[in-house]
Amino acid sequence: MALPILNRRHLVAGLGLAPFAIRSVEGAAAQGAEIPLGFVIPFTGATGPYGPDMKKAADLATKTINDAGGILGGRKLKLFIEDEETSATASVTATRKLLEVDRVEMVGGFWGSPPALAAKPLIVGANKVQMVSAAAPAITEGDTKNLVYRFQAKSTQWGPAGAKILKDLGVKKVAVLAQQNPFIVAMVEPFKAEMAKRDGTVTDVVMYNPDQASYRAEVQKAFGPEPEAVFVLALLTDMVAIAKEIYRGGFRSKVLALGTGADADGAFLKSVSPEVAEGIHHLQPAPPLNSISYKKFVKSMGAPDGTVFLFAGNMYDQVCVTALAMEHAKSTEALVWAKSIRAVCNPPGDEADDIAVALERVRLGHDINYIGAGATCDFNDQGDQLNRSFLHQVIEGGKNRIIDVVS
Amino acid sequence: MTAYLVTILVIVAIATLVGLALNFQWGCAGLVNFGVAGFVALGAYATALLTPVVGWFAAMLAAAALSALLSVFLALLSIRLADDYLAIVTLGFGEAVRLVLLNEGWLTGGALGIAGIPRPFASLIAPEHADFALLGFAVALVGIVYIILEALVRSPFGRVLRALRDDPVVAASLAKPVLILRIKAFAVGGAVMGLAGAMHAFYMTYIDPSQFTAITTSYAFMAVIAGGRGSNTGLMIGAGTIMLLLEGTRFLKDLIPALDGAQIAALRLGGVGVGIVLLLLLRPQGLLREPQRKAASLLADPERADAADPSLPASHPQEI
Repeated sequence: MALPILNRRHLVAGLGLAPFAIRSVEGAAAQGAEIPLGFVIPFTGATGPYGPDMKKAADLATKTINDAGGILGGRKLKLFIEDEETSATASVTATRKLLEVDRVEMVGGFWGSPPALAAKPLIVGANKVQMVSAAAPAITEGDTKNLVYRFQAKSTQWGPAGAKILKDLGVKKVAVLAQQNPFIVAMVEPFKAEMAKRDGTVTDVVMYNPDQASYRAEVQKAFGPEPEAVFVLALLTDMVAIAKEIYRGGFRSKVLALGTGADADGAFLKSVSPEVAEGIHHLQPAPPLNSISYKKFVKSMGAPDGTVFLFAGNMYDQVCVTALAMEHAKSTEALVWAKSIRAVCNPPGDEADDIAVALERVRLGHDINYIGAGATCDFNDQGDQLNRSFLHQVIEGGKNRIIDVVS
Repeated sequence: MTAYLVTILVIVAIATLVGLALNFQWGCAGLVNFGVAGFVALGAYATALLTPVVGWFAAMLAAAALSALLSVFLALLSIRLADDYLAIVTLGFGEAVRLVLLNEGWLTGGALGIAGIPRPFASLIAPEHADFALLGFAVALVGIVYIILEALVRSPFGRVLRALRDDPVVAASLAKPVLILRIKAFAVGGAVMGLAGAMHAFYMTYIDPSQFTAITTSYAFMAVIAGGRGSNTGLMIGAGTIMLLLEGTRFLKDLIPALDGAQIAALRLGGVGVGIVLLLLLRPQGLLREPQRKAASLLADPERADAADPSLPASHPQEI
């Protein structure tokens, strides 16, 4: 006997109706004067923990701009956010949906380099702007039609910064423990070159594969010969496991890690006990910590004073820079306003770090130099951010303490 | 909108190819393959590396051949192992392929992957129609593979594979060369997975090891289970349904603004899982059942035919 719940005819009928459901959404999105912006942000998979704060920051920027009267004579911004799923394939379908269904003018977000690289040809092909928070050099290389902007330091900048910090810590012999991933792989050679320049030696480079059940063997190999320090190039989930492994093994070498792993917008300290985290040094691109608007941003995010946001700040800036460039170009056409990005972000011009004030000045025709929540937001000809200095912190008593800013 | 639908259809076509291959290996011949992602990855990388050198057609053939060859090798490995151990061997193989691709940077580009893979007919077609052309190509490929596999399933070869699946001892006692047959079935499936990988490389034009993880294998199993093990037509509907569920749920958050991105992301994947469980509870035989000519049609004695076919679920004896 056939069960009535789901038979072939019902299924076919359902499939037939699906396009109409999609159509109605499209119709709704196209109406009104709202300006659609798209974001591909990870909520699931290995990089999932970074997503919620990124979304919160993008929402915050949108709300601030809309509450201040929107742009282009009162038009509001509307965000469409899709899940990156830590996967290049998912990023492609998500980007297509944003471009075709929601008709967005820019697609931002992009935590991971593979998702950013996979989506790049679609976005550039559609003549829209891509803004990424990923670090692989290849993203801004090739013909980008001046439409690709990186709100992040390039991988090749992270490595030398690490070497400088190790020098400051008085370390001569260092081993590297690094995840096999495009963001990190590109760091290793520049790091080695900078170490050599500073008379340091890299005794060993231990690469490991992501998503392992245990990192004991790799930690043993890197820390076993007792180098003065180990430069641990890891992301959040593996950094948590590695830190526990270092603690369990009782290794004494100094640990310098990436902020993407040993801070991750505060997520690392929530994942390990203070004894495990004690004494870990880490570096990440520094936000403009002393600007009033950054302090306001941290407060609006509901985080304690002095929290160093990396990815969330970059999201905030992506929305703000888009709004400023559109206002400056008096257009929502991506090919037009993309040309205004450097005009509102780079010097010369009055420094403006409050988005509402900055928009007002642009409206009045003033030259401005926007200072964001993630960086000073200055771009070179390739679309990479200039002047990214790095923040060196150490974890003490379950808290981050700022040691220095390295440029 | 059109380009988005084209994207979904190409991805459905690739998933269908993978599903058809698994349906042949597992659905028809009873050989569990948990290394699907590895074979697809091999096909994709072979295509990406060879297309600039020998052209797309030869590269696709090479991808299929390489994938088939390694399938033969794996099937041979399991010669002394009981059936279930093939599953473990393939699981290990899939993981090994991913790790080799990730770490042998000189050949595969390592974690950075390979970008700018040329597509077939790229020089003949305007860029704005490229996706359409590729969709046509993918659909044609699915059609050809479907016809070939359907013909194989209906041939004496397909019948003996099903006999082998249901009881290898009986097949062996009737002098059927069990090992050779298994190797052949595994190789055919492997070749199709290689072709699916080639289509994936052509569509994405950028591949990296993170695109070929256990989730690729899971989707293929979901499609086979949802569509009905053994039925190629059911599989095509199954693969379409799974992808429609995955993509369709994207629109939930636009319709229900109360849900935010993180919640919807978790709900989406959870919802697909619940859908599969419900389907298994309500229609354990899948959307379509394996087409079988039963003794009943020859003997006109339904009761005896049912008793003779214990693989049928008792509550749904006659429907297709």
